[in-house]
Amino acid sequence: MEATVVMGRRVGPGKTLELCLSIQCSKPRCTRLQAPAAASAAATPKSTGLINPAVCIEISLCNFSMKKKKKQQLQQKQTKKDTGVWTGLGWGKGAAAEGRRWWRRRIQAPRSKSILCSSSVSVAELSGEDGDDIANVMFEPMFEANPSDISIKRTSKITVVGVGNVGMACAQTILTQDLTDELALVDILPDKLRGEMLDLQHAAAFLPRAKIVAHTDYAITAESDICIVTAGARQREGESRLTLVERNVSFFKQIIPQLAKYSPNAILLIIANPVDALTYVSRRLSGFPTNRVIGSGTNLDSSRFRWILADRLEVNAQNVHGYIVGEHGDSSVPLWSSVNVAGVPLLQLLQNKGIHYGKHTQEEIHRMVVDGAYEVIKLKGYTSWAIGYSVASLVKSLLRDQRRIHPVSVCAKGFYGIEDEVYLSLPAELGRSGIIGILNIPLSNEETQRLQQSANALAQIQRKLDI
Amino acid sequence: MRTGVIGQLGSYHLETSSLRKQCNPKLRCQQEAAAALSKYNKGNFTNPAVCFREISLSWSTQKKMKRNGLECRAEAIGSIRATAASIEVGSSKRSPSALEIAGANIVETMFQPVLDAGPPDHSARRVSKVTVVGVGNVGMACAQTIITQDLADQIALVDISADKLRGEMLDLQHAAAFLPRADIVADTDYAITAHSDICIVTAGARQREGESRLALVERNVSFFKQIIPELVKYSPNAILLIISNPVDALTFVAWKLSGFPSNRVIGSGTNLDSSRFRWLMANRLQVNAHNVHGYIVGEHGDTSVPLWSSVNVGGVPMIQFLQDKGILVEKDSLEELHRMVVDGAYEVIKLKGYTSWAIGYSAASLVKSLLRDQRRIHPVSVCAKGFHGIEDEVFLSLPAELGRSGIIGILNIPLTEEETQKLQASAKALAEIQSKLDI
Repeated sequence: MEATVVMGRRVGPGKTLELCLSIQCSKPRCTRLQAPAAASAAATPKSTGLINPAVCIEISLCNFSMKKKKKQQLQQKQTKKDTGVWTGLGWGKGAAAEGRRWWRRRIQAPRSKSILCSSSVSVAELSGEDGDDIANVMFEPMFEANPSDISIKRTSKITVVGVGNVGMACAQTILTQDLTDELALVDILPDKLRGEMLDLQHAAAFLPRAKIVAHTDYAITAESDICIVTAGARQREGESRLTLVERNVSFFKQIIPQLAKYSPNAILLIIANPVDALTYVSRRLSGFPTNRVIGSGTNLDSSRFRWILADRLEVNAQNVHGYIVGEHGDSSVPLWSSVNVAGVPLLQLLQNKGIHYGKHTQEEIHRMVVDGAYEVIKLKGYTSWAIGYSVASLVKSLLRDQRRIHPVSVCAKGFYGIEDEVYLSLPAELGRSGIIGILNIPLSNEETQRLQQSANALAQIQRKLDI
Repeated sequence: MRTGVIGQLGSYHLETSSLRKQCNPKLRCQQEAAAALSKYNKGNFTNPAVCFREISLSWSTQKKMKRNGLECRAEAIGSIRATAASIEVGSSKRSPSALEIAGANIVETMFQPVLDAGPPDHSARRVSKVTVVGVGNVGMACAQTIITQDLADQIALVDISADKLRGEMLDLQHAAAFLPRADIVADTDYAITAHSDICIVTAGARQREGESRLALVERNVSFFKQIIPELVKYSPNAILLIISNPVDALTFVAWKLSGFPSNRVIGSGTNLDSSRFRWLMANRLQVNAHNVHGYIVGEHGDTSVPLWSSVNVGGVPMIQFLQDKGILVEKDSLEELHRMVVDGAYEVIKLKGYTSWAIGYSAASLVKSLLRDQRRIHPVSVCAKGFHGIEDEVFLSLPAELGRSGIIGILNIPLTEEETQKLQASAKALAEIQSKLDI
């Protein structure tokens, strides 16, 4: 049994912090406060994730008072139990009730407004003794069953680091598309984090059952299958993606090692910009093999590209296939030679019909794609929905082993004459183990040159980074 | 300016009714162009590209396309685009590019119509359209959830700030490769909402921290006086779904301002409260929230009424069951649960500044029941006159069956005396506020 601090809230003038500790018991339906253990666990600042010594003192004091209260309450319950009349939602009388005692442990949670309880906040307090008793009355366990066996872990878990606009769009789209069983949110602001978690939880009646947890401590991300990193400085209007690098590297030095520590087998999915450089940084900081560190890359650029073409051709965007590769930014490379509509190569078809799709037009479309993000940022301040869908699409390919091909940021060493260990987008097949392989798309000479130029520019920036 | 454009097409007398078919392809295409532009001017389309689609589709019904005919059409399209693009369309000002003019040729090259194809029938509305008024956090959460769940073919966004509006529209459109094909349009002009099936109104002042929902009323009534009549004008057969707070009073306002029958004016009401309620109960019992059934009715706010007598888990009425087992249920814990539901929204607002995701899912769930004629029961804000002894024309939440025509009927849920009294008290409080409104 481990102590996990799952909720924190700041009250008052900012000096004291209220904590609601919930210890996850291995038995089902037991989400109870283990008062003494909780208090002792809380006494170590490390496990609480807090450095404020005042908190620990208050907790230990409370622990003391709780023990007394616990005794009192136990005595009360004992006397009441004998008479068989129960004023609270408690045990019914009879042998059946006694027989169920082995099934779970009953821990008394103090009812007063002590530091460990908060009437409007604590789920642990709500599911006090009452809830468990109702559950045990309504649901009868079977003979020789052991549903609490947690060795059979088949549920999937996704962590989202950063609950800004992009992070929450990713989280919400993933939940709506029912891609995961457990979602963990991490950020540095505890209030915003808790607010977002509650907002998602309140939609429970409309969503498939997913466990949504949130904390500033990375311990909550343990054993994730995918870790999505959206945290980072926001791209300012007119700012090139590459000037964000230095600002974000310092963030990543705090984030990535923690993620790697708690989920050593996870796949890292990097969204923060500039995505290529930061995917390289993540690979170095985590030490993961290259198939498990992926950047969202030009997945969204290619979507915009396909949308623009589909809009012109008045056809569904999912029937227009075309990749933009290279850097996610100004020097990305649209692969016009392989653009096709339901398998029909576009440029070739037009040439055969005598229609010339000029260079000028091609450049214009490419510029619209690159400027697309800047335009949205200028108009509404940030982009969120499109990147959310893009990430959900990648997550689905990864978690459900779809083996679909996405243009994502990968280690491009050895492809198309690139010698440096740079990260840039290439069409990659994604599955449960991450990147299965890179698609060997034939490029024209010009496209190869542009790709190599893109790689050189990225390699220069990577060299300047302090890792 | 718009009539000037038509004049440039030549000496054609603009006919807004059906056109006689011309044999000469050049004249025919100019005629069609004029017709398309007239539709454009009437406000049915604000996107020039859409009316050009009309041209290409009707042209494809011709059996023989002569080469010169094709060229004429391209010319005409080019000239129309050049002139139409000079018309400022709300905030979206697009200059024509070579690509757009070339696009027409490419479409003809790639897609060949079949022999003897009939003309596309645009008179019958086959696509579903949802309008969202207000692109703040709540409005965009609703729009995005509706798109993700693939509930509508067309989404129209309306707001007063043109930049934010266009930015949100582009952001959604950029996800096209990951989404089923949905036509997403946005404009500050309500003409874009024409022929909607559902109009979702989320626009309004945001609830401040600690502010009671009822204190928002006066601020929002003035907004609604601008919004509702416009929606009604362009979509006289739509269902109005009101989300802005205080939802009960504003649903009443919307009903009065629109003149719609009461089955077509719905407020989101306690749909979300009931969801929070079910989540809390399900969390306590460690069971899926979908299997916990319970309604909170009455005002969406402090005086809402949880119907404990009908709370059931998988069909088993909870309170009754526990009483039969000899376990008395403590009033205090029930009250506490209800208080947590009511405070739930305030808590999220205090922590992150607003609520969005939960209400988005709630709205999408209502839209699905309405558009797809699901006949599911949701506790939504309805005209409660005649139910449970309520005599005033107040709007408050009751469990209602929702379908394509709006509210099909109200579920006759049996209430205990105490619940009935609370509901009537809630109704009185709402009636007082409604009487003070200036409508």
